[in-house]
Amino acid sequence: MNKEIAITAYKCKKCGKIHYPFHDRCLECKGREFEKMHPEGDATLLAYTVIFNLPWGFDQRFLILGVAEFENHVKAMGQIKADSVDQLKTGMKVKPSWEPIKKQYGEDVYGLKFEPME
Amino acid sequence: MRDVAIIGAGMIPFGRRDEDTLMEMLAYASLKALDDAGLGDKTVDAVYVANMGGGMLQHQSAIASSLVDRLSLLPAAAETIENGPASGASAIKNGLLAVASGYYDYVLVVGGEKMREVTGWRATDFVATMTHPQAEYPYGITLPGMAGMFTRLYMEKHGVTREQLLAVSLKNQEMGTLNPYAHVEMALDRGGIFDSPHSVVNNPVSADPLHLYDLCPVSDGAAAIVICPLEMAKKHNKTPIHIAGFGQATDTQTLQEREDPTDLKAVSLAAQKAFEMAKLKPSDIHVAELHDAFTILEIAESEHVGFFKKGEGGKAAAAGKTRLGGQIPINVSGGLKARGHPVGATGVAQMVDIVWQLRHELPKNRQVKNAQNGLTVNFGGFGNNVLAFVLKRVE
Amino acid sequence: MAMDMELEMVLRPPQLPMPPYPPKMVTLANGKVMVIRQAVREDVPAILKSVHPCLFIERDYYDVVSARVYGELLAWYRYRVKSEYCLLGQVDGYLVGLVNGRLENEKVGMSYHTLAIDRGLRIGSHLFAAKMEYHMEYLNQDQVLVVAESPIGFRRWMVEYPLIETRIPHELGGGDSWVLTRETYFNAKPRLVVGDRPVPQELMDEAMLDIKFADDDTIRERIAGLKGR
Repeated sequence: MNKEIAITAYKCKKCGKIHYPFHDRCLECKGREFEKMHPEGDATLLAYTVIFNLPWGFDQRFLILGVAEFENHVKAMGQIKADSVDQLKTGMKVKPSWEPIKKQYGEDVYGLKFEPME
Repeated sequence: MRDVAIIGAGMIPFGRRDEDTLMEMLAYASLKALDDAGLGDKTVDAVYVANMGGGMLQHQSAIASSLVDRLSLLPAAAETIENGPASGASAIKNGLLAVASGYYDYVLVVGGEKMREVTGWRATDFVATMTHPQAEYPYGITLPGMAGMFTRLYMEKHGVTREQLLAVSLKNQEMGTLNPYAHVEMALDRGGIFDSPHSVVNNPVSADPLHLYDLCPVSDGAAAIVICPLEMAKKHNKTPIHIAGFGQATDTQTLQEREDPTDLKAVSLAAQKAFEMAKLKPSDIHVAELHDAFTILEIAESEHVGFFKKGEGGKAAAAGKTRLGGQIPINVSGGLKARGHPVGATGVAQMVDIVWQLRHELPKNRQVKNAQNGLTVNFGGFGNNVLAFVLKRVE
Repeated sequence: MAMDMELEMVLRPPQLPMPPYPPKMVTLANGKVMVIRQAVREDVPAILKSVHPCLFIERDYYDVVSARVYGELLAWYRYRVKSEYCLLGQVDGYLVGLVNGRLENEKVGMSYHTLAIDRGLRIGSHLFAAKMEYHMEYLNQDQVLVVAESPIGFRRWMVEYPLIETRIPHELGGGDSWVLTRETYFNAKPRLVVGDRPVPQELMDEAMLDIKFADDDTIRERIAGLKGR
């Protein structure tokens, strides 16, 4: 079962700028009122890397991470479901999902994952 | 506002200092700076201590209060400044403003960090706590990871190549072998880390496209300076070094919220402000210490502060223009890459190295001949809090 | 046969035949060439001289690891261990690191220890890889049991290869063993196992002539990295 992507982005009611994560005032116009929005559709990969020296709490050998932009322009970081960065390129389409990203105190922590579509 | 000068500078060798506590390192560096200033038993008015991780790594707080007591500097004012890896420069800025305002005359600024107390996993996690607690940190992103993403974008946009990054790495580690304060005193060989097929083991990918030797080490270390009004500095022994300009700027915490993630706006703004205040331009600088926590940063910062046009920094590094004797010698100390990066100490250590350069105190093989003006850039977070200083030798 | 030799034969464990490890050379990050070659039993007293100063270095469990290596090599020298071998890493003739292990049986190997004397050059990684190469490609074994005694070792072997956790006990009562299979080895080989063969005669001669050892203080300084501070 696909879980809903539990990310809330914020669109400034005054100037329309989209923020994720939350800011108390709009980065563009200082507006304080926002319309909540959820990431929609597929996403485009904007940046990515694979890291081999992982921080405490991650036991795997490497982790592929990236930032992607959804169809409604929400941008967010996520883990990338790929075996190697050789399968990736900037600007490619990726399929977002909400899945376990790590374990904490034996429980799954959920977050964004992106899977290459090309 | 009064003009402010550096009259004392001191540093302890960076590296893995298992035998010293954080407080000991801070105390040793402080005494070196106080002695260098020739203050004798005189106390200072205030002490600013730069430290990022005492609370997390040593489970210690109120570090500045403890240090003034240890150093018998009571009843001097004291506080700890935490501003991520830019803590050092932030502490200097706070000391500088206090003296410039006329409120204090003599101020000690010391930065220190003891990162090797914990395993690499813990140290990586400690540094990663600078990232956004909901939008970044839970995913396992690290500072090298941020730098990896940035590097790929920079390569795509400005044509930086792995060979250009390699030039920075080779230069800085070579300079490190000449610096007795450097953590890494090993020259690298291009064959061993790049050309040879054996380099896959020697220099593996760390945060693609960055490799192991594109990253600075995790270090312990401390550095300190003593400042006072320029007018009073002239009566002390050492050639005063005038802090002629400074600038600080911030940027969004996440890279994704920057209009152009390859544009390090905070670096450009901080440097511009520092140059304006000093009434100098980038071409007036004779020696610079840039924050090369990753090789890409030395190249990107050399462009953002105005030494080179965008897209030219990598070529300049590869052509040797940033070496000692080149157009603008950068990180003659070995930089963070070789001197090491004890986060709280770095901003102060950069300043100490420039002070030694401008006093013409270094051995010939590291001294920029007749250097009059220097620049430091201390880069916090991933470029979301940056400080720059312009220093001038006062004859 | 004299009585004492009869008893000796009972005390000596049987030895499995082991084809030799062909020497190779690796270019290090500083451009120096490390020769990796198999030690002979007669090398042991000399090698122990280099292991000895490491017994007193607490950093990164050098004390525990070198105490065990000391015991293992001594046991080999005095015929008290089954089918042990030792590979040496030498730069300009100087011993810069060593690895040892033994055969549990024809198909299962037991990786003992990795001791890097020069640090910061991934010598441990190269030597451990050579050890796995020996078990898999020259002794033709199915699996190698590995334990780590330091966080660095855990990261280098368990995480990097990556090894598979088992409940097979450690020889000396430490943490349970992890296993390297042929599949894991050959998957990891392109990124972890390097080296050129044959080693030119003059390099081999230099390595074989007389193993050179840094003095105790130099060894301690290289490992502890204290640079006389």
